[in-house]
Amino acid sequence: MSRLTSCALLLCATLGLTACETTSPVVRLDRQVNYGDAKAVELVTNEFGSTDLQMIAEKMVGSLLETGIFQGRPTVTISTVKNKTSEYIDTTNVMNSIQTTLVKSGKVRFVRSIAEMQQGVDELQRQNQSGLYKQSSTAKVGKMTAAKYTLEGELTSIVKQSTTTKDVFYKFTLKMIDVEEGSIEWQDEKEIRKTSKR
Amino acid sequence: MFATKKLILALASTLALAAQAQLDAGTPAAVAAKVALRGDAHDVRIPEMRVVRRNDILIVQADLLNSGKSDRTVFYRFRWLDNIGSQVGDGESWKQMGLLGQAQQTVKSVAPSSVVTDFRLEMNVER
Repeated sequence: MSRLTSCALLLCATLGLTACETTSPVVRLDRQVNYGDAKAVELVTNEFGSTDLQMIAEKMVGSLLETGIFQGRPTVTISTVKNKTSEYIDTTNVMNSIQTTLVKSGKVRFVRSIAEMQQGVDELQRQNQSGLYKQSSTAKVGKMTAAKYTLEGELTSIVKQSTTTKDVFYKFTLKMIDVEEGSIEWQDEKEIRKTSKR
Repeated sequence: MFATKKLILALASTLALAAQAQLDAGTPAAVAAKVALRGDAHDVRIPEMRVVRRNDILIVQADLLNSGKSDRTVFYRFRWLDNIGSQVGDGESWKQMGLLGQAQQTVKSVAPSSVVTDFRLEMNVER
């Protein structure tokens, strides 16, 4: 009886283990696709990539916070970021990363950039001119806070190529300008060299 | 609460010991406690680390010295922690740095916010 009970228990355990084989909650077809580390060093090609964007943003934010220029939480806006490289690069992405980290730091207030202004104007007009809203709840026109500083940047590159080697040198320069005085209050740059061999 | 704190401290000291065991003897124990090294250091050590709080922001500089004759590739990033040891922000991107034989380079990073009180230098070294 005891042996029979042991056998039954062993069988149950085996069946239990078989049933416990887990599968991951994914829908996958033939092609192998996986999520990777968004912060990993990307070395697929020489072209401007995610690691370059992240390194630039981290360097600029660190440099800005270190200077202490944001004492009193001044207002800042983003101006143009010129792409002077031969590649198509969405430089807005770099500035978005910088702005996100600075906003999260709580040290600075960002106000609408030129590119974002039309949406703000449209919303103000909708609230004040459509006649749909209670007067007491509408955002008033003429109450926006202007930027004390503006951030202007540019990205350049130097590309050298031989039969076996390709060398790309990127330089990102960012300036913070006092809007009223027109003076450059802070400036820094990030240099990146990427070399590939065939 | 006290037990949790003791557990965290024990875990931290275990991790520090593990890091210390892998780093070269030229890395001081106080520095090794701030380093999370994956794998072998391959002759790379950290003789000095400087930490300063400027404008209410933590700034860290670490000297990485390749005491071997062969070049090494170091992958590193700083992980920022608040006063209870929780990670602040999404974490930095990994960076790649070439370290020539018997050469020293300084890596620097600035905390993303004032709540940061501690950090770890995560790194691994490739031959």
